[in-house]
Amino acid sequence: MRFAIILLVVLALACSVGSLVTQGQSYAWYAQRYSERTAALILALHLDDAFHSWWFILINAFLCVNLLLCNLLRLPSLIARTRAEADPRAILAGKGAVSVENVAAPEPVFQRLRMPKPAEAETEDGTPALVSSKNRAGLWGAWVCHLGILLLIVGFSLGQMTQKQYAVYGVPGQTRPVGDTGCAVSIDDFDIGLRADDTVEQYTARITVLGPDGQSESAEISVNNPARLFGMKFYQNSTGWAATVRVTEGGEPLQEEILCAGEYLQVADKPDLVIDFNAFYPDYVQRAGAMPETASGQLNNPGYLYSVYYQEQMIGMNVLMAGETLTIDDYAVTFSEPQPYTMIQIKEDHFTGVALAGGLVTMLGLLLAFYVQPARVWAIRQEDGRWTLRGESRKGGAIFRDQFLRAAGVKDGENIAEKEE
Amino acid sequence: MLQIENTLFTIVMLIYFAAMILYFAFIAARKEGLARAAVALQCAGFALHTAALVCRGIGAGRLPLTNQYEFATSFAWGLCLVSLAFIFWYKFTVLGAFAAPVIFLIIGYAAMQSKAVHELMPALRSNWLGFHVSTAIIAYGAFGVSFVLSIIFLLRDRMKARGFLDSHIPNREKLDAISYRSVSLGLLFLTFTIVTGAIWAERAWGSYWSWDPKETWSLVTWIVYAAYLHLRIRRGWQGRAAAIFAAVGFVCVMFTYVGVNTFLPGIHSYA
Repeated sequence: MRFAIILLVVLALACSVGSLVTQGQSYAWYAQRYSERTAALILALHLDDAFHSWWFILINAFLCVNLLLCNLLRLPSLIARTRAEADPRAILAGKGAVSVENVAAPEPVFQRLRMPKPAEAETEDGTPALVSSKNRAGLWGAWVCHLGILLLIVGFSLGQMTQKQYAVYGVPGQTRPVGDTGCAVSIDDFDIGLRADDTVEQYTARITVLGPDGQSESAEISVNNPARLFGMKFYQNSTGWAATVRVTEGGEPLQEEILCAGEYLQVADKPDLVIDFNAFYPDYVQRAGAMPETASGQLNNPGYLYSVYYQEQMIGMNVLMAGETLTIDDYAVTFSEPQPYTMIQIKEDHFTGVALAGGLVTMLGLLLAFYVQPARVWAIRQEDGRWTLRGESRKGGAIFRDQFLRAAGVKDGENIAEKEE
Repeated sequence: MLQIENTLFTIVMLIYFAAMILYFAFIAARKEGLARAAVALQCAGFALHTAALVCRGIGAGRLPLTNQYEFATSFAWGLCLVSLAFIFWYKFTVLGAFAAPVIFLIIGYAAMQSKAVHELMPALRSNWLGFHVSTAIIAYGAFGVSFVLSIIFLLRDRMKARGFLDSHIPNREKLDAISYRSVSLGLLFLTFTIVTGAIWAERAWGSYWSWDPKETWSLVTWIVYAAYLHLRIRRGWQGRAAAIFAAVGFVCVMFTYVGVNTFLPGIHSYA
C-alpha cells in the first residue's frame, strides 16, 4: 500500500513536470526560454519528452507490477471474504460495528435498511438468529478498478509501441500512397461546409482506398466521423491551401505540379534548384514591421510565400501575388489556382479496444467500490424473547451506523451498545 | 432567448449572494428560520440557474457547455446541485454556508467571461460533448463540496459555541465519511469525463490520449484523489490529514480548470 501511494505521488509529479515543461523542443529553444544550464538539465533528464522517457516508462512499469501483485495477493482473501459475507456462521461470530438491544420485532429494521429477507439461523450455542447480507459484489470494487487500470496502461503502452500512423494530404483528383502499407488513397472530393457567417461547420472528404491487390473501398469521412477501410482508420484531420506551380524555361513549359503549402518542387532539369511553397494568404495584407497575414478566408488578394534554394542554400524568399512571375535565370515560376487540400490521418492500432475496455472496467470498479456497499445485519434472540440487532458495513462507516440506528428507531446515547469499528 | 438568459443570470447571481448572506446570518444569529430561508433561496437560485442554462441552450442552438463562460456557469450550477443534494441527503444545512461563497465566486468568474455565442468548430460538433462536459461539471461540483467539507472539518475544532455546532455539524467521523462520499462521487464522474473524452478524442483526432495539458492535469487530479482514497485506508490518515489532502485535490481541480487555460494552452483552450 505504501509503495502504491508513493508511486501515485511520483506519477502525479512526473505528469505535472511533463505538462509544465514545453515538450519536443530543441536545446536552443530551451536555452533561449530558460537558461543554458536549465536547457542542459532538461535534455539530460529527458524532460523534453517526459511522457516517453525511460523514467516515466519505469514508473508505469512499477505501477503495473504493483497493481498486478496487489490483485493477485488479494484474490484469495477476497474470495474468502465474499464467501464469509453470506455465511451465517461467520456473520454470527462477528460482533458488528453497531448493535441495538431489546428490539421487539427485528423484521421491520431489516426492511428499513433494505436488506434481503433474513434467513433463520442459530448461533453456536443454539440461540435462534436471523441473518441477512447484501451487496457482496461491492467487495470487488477496488479489485475490478485495479484490473481496469492495468488493462488501460497495458493497452495504451502496447498501442504506443505497435501502432502505425500515416498522414496523406492532397486535393481532389490526387492519389497518394499510404506509407509502406501498399495501399493508396485517392481523394475523390473535399468540401468545406461554411455557415452564413463564413465559419466552418464541417470538413468532409470522399476517399477511395486502393488495396495492394487492386481491390478498393470508398467512404466519406469528416471530423468526428472516421471510417475503417482495409483494417485502418481514416480521419479527416486538417486542411490547408494548395496551389498549382508552373515552371517555364525560356518561355517553354517545363513543369507543372500541385503543391500543398509546406511542400517543395525540384526544377526538373536542374535538381539543385528548389522552389519551396511556404504558405498561402488568401486575403494577403502586409503591415509595416509585421509578419504577412490574411485579412479573411476569402480569395480577395491571394499571396504565395515562397523561398528558393540553390545547392541547399537559400537564395531568396518573398511573397508572390496572383499573376506575378518569379524569374530565376531562364526559369519563370508562377503560382495559381489556389484550392483547399485535405490532410487525412491514417492509423492502425490494434490495442485501442484493450485501453477502452480498461477504461470501462475501471468505471465499473469505481461504481462497485463506491455505490455497492456490502452490509450484513443479524439479530440474535435474547432470553426474554426480544432481539439484539447487530450490523456491519465495511465501507459504510459512520453513515451506516446512523442509518442502522435510525432504522432501529433509536437515537445516539439511547439504548445503544455501539462499538467502534 | 439570450437576453432572457442574461437577465436570469444576473438574478441568479443576486440570489446566490443573498443566500450566502442569509447563511452567514444563520451562523451569526443561530436562528433556524434563517437557515430555512437560505436553503429555500439557494433552491430558488438553482431553479432559475437551470432555467438560464436552458435559455442559453435554446438561444445558442446547442448544449451550453463549450466556452469559458458556459463552463464556469455550469460549474457553479453543478456545485449548487451537489451541495443541495448533500444538504438534503445528510440533513447538513451548515454545508450551504460554506458552499455558497464558493458558488458565488465561480459564478462571479463566469460573469467576467465573454458571453458571446460562437458557432461550434467541427471538432466540437459531437454527441460526446454532452457526456464529456456534463460529467466534468458533476465531478467538479462534487470535488467543490469535498473541499467545503474539508474546510468545515478543519475549522470545526477551532470553533467555539460547541452546543450550536454539535447540533448543526456532524461529528468528525461522520464529516470525514461525508467528505469521502463526495470525493468518491467526484472521482467516479471524473473517470467518466476522462473515458468519454478519450473516446471522443479517438473519433475526432485519431488519438485517445495525447498528453494535452488539460488531459494531463485531469489525470493528475485523478491520481491525487486516488492517493487520497488509498491514504484514507491507512491508519491515522482519516480525519484531519485526509481533509488537508482533499483540499489539495481541489487546488488541482482549479488548476486544471483555470490554471491550464491560462498558462498551458492546448487543444482544450476553448474550455
